[in-house]
Amino acid sequence: MYDKIYDVKNSLLFLFFSLFILSVSAQQKYTVSGYVKDKTNGESSLGATVYIKEILKGTTTNSSGFYSITIEEGEYTLAISYIGFKTIEQKIILNKNIRLNYEIEPDVITTDELTVIGERKDGNVDETVMSTVELDIKKIKSLPAFFGEIDVLKTIQLLPGVQAAGEGNAGFYVRGGGLDQNLILLDGATVYNASHLAGFVSVFNSDAIKDVKLIKGGMPAEYGGRLSSVLDITMNDGNMKKYEAEGGIGIMSSRLTLQGPIKKDTASFIISYRRFYLGDILQPFISDSSNLKGTNYYFYDLNAKLNWIISEKDRLYLSGYMGEDVMTYVNNKDGFATNIPSGNAIVSLRWNHLFNDKLFSNTTLSYTRYKFELGLEQGQIEFKLFSGIYDWNAKMDFNYLPSILHSVKFGLDYTFHKFVPSNVSIKSDEVYFNTGDIIKNYANDAAFYLSDDWDINERLRVHVGLRYSLFQHVGPFKRYKNNQFGSPVDTVVYDNFETVKLYQGLEPRLTARYTLNNTSSVKASYTQNYQYLHLVNFASVSLPMDVWAPSTDEVKPQFARQYAAGYFKNFKDNKFETSVEVYYKTMDNQVEYKDGAVPQDNAGNNVDHQFTYGKGWSYGAEFFVKKRFGKVNGWIGYTLSWTNKQFEELNDGNVFPAKYDRRHDASVVLTYNPSKRWVIGAVWVYATGSALTLPEQRYTIQGQIVSDYGNRNSFRMDAYHRMDLSLTLKGKEEKKFKSDWVLSIYNVYNRMNPSFIYFATEGSVYDGTLEIQAKQVSFFGILPSISWNFKF
Amino acid sequence: MKNFKKTRHFECPLSSFFESKSFERKRSNPINKSLLLIIGIISLTLFSCEKDIDIDLPDSERKLVVEGSIEPGLPPFIMLTKTEGYFNPVDINSLQNAFIHNAIIFVNNGTNNVQLTEICTSDLDTSLLPSVAQLIGVSLENVKNFGFCLYTTLDPLMFGEVGKTYSLSIQAEGKILTSTTTIPSPVVMDSYWYEDQPGYTDYGYLWFKLNDPQPLGTAYRIYTQRLGKDDRLLPANGSVFDDKFFNGISFEAFIFRGHEINSQHPQDIGGLRDYFEQGDTIIIKFCTIDQPHFQFLNTFEIASFNNGNPFTAPISIKSNIEGGLGIWGGYGVSYDTLIAVD
Repeated sequence: MYDKIYDVKNSLLFLFFSLFILSVSAQQKYTVSGYVKDKTNGESSLGATVYIKEILKGTTTNSSGFYSITIEEGEYTLAISYIGFKTIEQKIILNKNIRLNYEIEPDVITTDELTVIGERKDGNVDETVMSTVELDIKKIKSLPAFFGEIDVLKTIQLLPGVQAAGEGNAGFYVRGGGLDQNLILLDGATVYNASHLAGFVSVFNSDAIKDVKLIKGGMPAEYGGRLSSVLDITMNDGNMKKYEAEGGIGIMSSRLTLQGPIKKDTASFIISYRRFYLGDILQPFISDSSNLKGTNYYFYDLNAKLNWIISEKDRLYLSGYMGEDVMTYVNNKDGFATNIPSGNAIVSLRWNHLFNDKLFSNTTLSYTRYKFELGLEQGQIEFKLFSGIYDWNAKMDFNYLPSILHSVKFGLDYTFHKFVPSNVSIKSDEVYFNTGDIIKNYANDAAFYLSDDWDINERLRVHVGLRYSLFQHVGPFKRYKNNQFGSPVDTVVYDNFETVKLYQGLEPRLTARYTLNNTSSVKASYTQNYQYLHLVNFASVSLPMDVWAPSTDEVKPQFARQYAAGYFKNFKDNKFETSVEVYYKTMDNQVEYKDGAVPQDNAGNNVDHQFTYGKGWSYGAEFFVKKRFGKVNGWIGYTLSWTNKQFEELNDGNVFPAKYDRRHDASVVLTYNPSKRWVIGAVWVYATGSALTLPEQRYTIQGQIVSDYGNRNSFRMDAYHRMDLSLTLKGKEEKKFKSDWVLSIYNVYNRMNPSFIYFATEGSVYDGTLEIQAKQVSFFGILPSISWNFKF
Repeated sequence: MKNFKKTRHFECPLSSFFESKSFERKRSNPINKSLLLIIGIISLTLFSCEKDIDIDLPDSERKLVVEGSIEPGLPPFIMLTKTEGYFNPVDINSLQNAFIHNAIIFVNNGTNNVQLTEICTSDLDTSLLPSVAQLIGVSLENVKNFGFCLYTTLDPLMFGEVGKTYSLSIQAEGKILTSTTTIPSPVVMDSYWYEDQPGYTDYGYLWFKLNDPQPLGTAYRIYTQRLGKDDRLLPANGSVFDDKFFNGISFEAFIFRGHEINSQHPQDIGGLRDYFEQGDTIIIKFCTIDQPHFQFLNTFEIASFNNGNPFTAPISIKSNIEGGLGIWGGYGVSYDTLIAVD
């Protein structure tokens, strides 16, 4: 691995090299290390602060709750703090390497009295990471939820720089990047389609989730493969102390989670199930004679995780996720039936290993599958459409903590991809259609990285990282060479494992933080990213049938450069966090369908022949004010941004705004705790209307009215704004059986936000009766919902 | 339920799928339809609502639109109109105003250059109107009720000939439009026959066997007329296809019967809309067209089909007119007659 990296002549590497020498030459030092856990359930606490008061330096626990601090011999006060938990302080004498594990207890006082340690600057100011947000699942749960469905993807849309894909949609755009430019990880495995119900609900059941981290810029070197963001979701590990059941009953769906120790403090399990049943509830209302009898829709999510502490040095996690959407549409009159199942399946096995006090490793093996099927039946004729993605992944991540000044990470990541593009089969007694070859795509996808978080001096801290990624499109593969009319004139056939195309590239990642004083800092970052997969949207909304297309000999990898800078300032003992960030991002090799392309036309053709390529760029400023604790807390975010695209073959080669170019995007998120048992939540969002292309003129061909379109995305829908409210009544804290009532009102002032516009044409042009009327469809008006959650 | 005026799209996805398999046009139909279906059902379930809105469109410059054709043994015909603002009100006057009069139009076949003259249907004997309806591709009723003006010539030197290339030049309203087209050699269909569709007696598709000639890029358009039922030759539903998927081979397929736009005839709106009936006498016009002509018709048919569907990308119709919109297209023609008996 190192050989390969060193082959690459890059000055950054010399810097890394010198870091290692530096650490070797350091004077006599000892290490204090260990794990931090939640005392109530034994779950490891990730992101807890471990701090040495005397030197005003510290670290945070990693995803397994592990920390390690190496400093010079001496007497110190170690403080462990985590928001919502009591701070632990302990005197230590460091004259040898010591291991100290801590169990932290929830702080029952939820008011202002949160202790703030010493002169400790707060995380957001001090850390080198920027443009990164971690969400507290407990907080999310007291916010208003769409139909009572608590949804992490909907919550991240409320952050500056993140835009919702549409009304009630779980898809999101980060800093002008497309829907496909977000890497969504569930326990380290990629999730390709993160939504149910054509985007209205995300696949993440909030009861099964422990932590959500969103990185929208300054992406550290351990992440890659997507241009715009990383959404790293960690599932709950399962309670190590006692058995617990938790669930909720709502209008659309219900959830149940069971967890507990298999062996106390050693092994635990968690299993969580959510089922959407609105369709089932409506069944009795469809009469037997109805034309639509048999029509239904449901989805489910099943999350499960096993967690086993093998020894002080080894820990094993096995997690699985399975979710499926099944839609059945029956029209008895026409003897017509459609069945549309789609879903994700994910398995990941993770092994934490502590080589020594300073070297921690994480090895993950995972498998991801996403499939979409469409079956149509009419009489004896059956039509089937199928597409899928299969990933086999292995990765190793190492964290080396040679001194308190350095946190070195390195690792490798390998994935074998198999893509099955949309393909069709038809069966009939009478007629059989040969639908042509299914051209699958296979690829090796690998990356190596090395990074260091380095405290250069009291004020300056940097994250320097380098990622080297490669993508090898391999056979079997068939490439049609087409003439100017798109008709095949020749084919090139590649054998198994024969290289069709190899792409590789370097992705330097740099972030620097310069501390101005105890409560403020400036940060700047520069990142480069390659992305070898592309989601090409045909329609204006994201759909389960959208096809993921890998880079091939003709589709070049997407490439982005992002520059970001920010100012971070905290007020009133960290009660208020504020930040301003500006960014500029360029994106090359962006993919769109050609004008007039008809998708799924892949017989005698490669899907990618329908694509056209161009570039995009985005810039903007994000403002964020967060009140972290107190009776009223929450945040206000505002983004001012521009996102443009330019494609030679689209819009006559002229620059056009992306459909999600939003000049203004604002959100206000508040929760208010008037008493221990009541929580009021409120959310208000505002976004500039989506850009779209509209016909400007009409003309008549063979008696049909046809449209002459205006410039691409030159029209704007009305602005989107909405307010949601929620009221939560919590059960008594002391009781063993706790239950909460949550009343949620979506779109309180019943704003008719545009979801899409269409044109109704009536009459004939030749008798003067033609009427064209634009119609705006809004999906959701005011929408109250109630759910009941329990835990025992 | 009002929000999906286009719900008729939901009703017969499979039949149009067949259409798409027999002609590669609209391959995406099942996808688009299921997509409409999913969104439709979800939005209905979740109480969506719609309202009429007014959209202010920029008042951009009007473009000239050409609908021109030439066939062997017939003179060239050009209809010249201009675009209208998308929401502009329509009445008889505004429609009449869409016609461009006094244009200077020349057609050149390589040896001769002939200027076309303008004639309007109001000046013609009614016995000629069916032929005009045929030529401009609209119903006889429309031609009778509504005056059309077109440019043509009676000079036999400019009557269409197979294999020739025809250049068009138009000067009107300060603009110059040019285009060229060819009349490709006609390809004669090997055979036609009728078969009852399983489950039906007396109704079925019109089948054909085509021996596609070797040169790649050959494109076709097919029309049918049921004697006594249709006023003119109607393009099949999905009337154009090229040999991208069957170059140089012999194959069998079937077509969907075409209809007049907005036809309310019972046989045109129900489950029989795609079928012919036992006993129909069917005149079949089978044409070869060049690739730009095919690209135009293909995108035109897709655009007409998708009209109003908000979930598909806007389809731009591919014109072969420099400086304007529309088509100047030659047809290589062969005719057949079939009595539908299986």
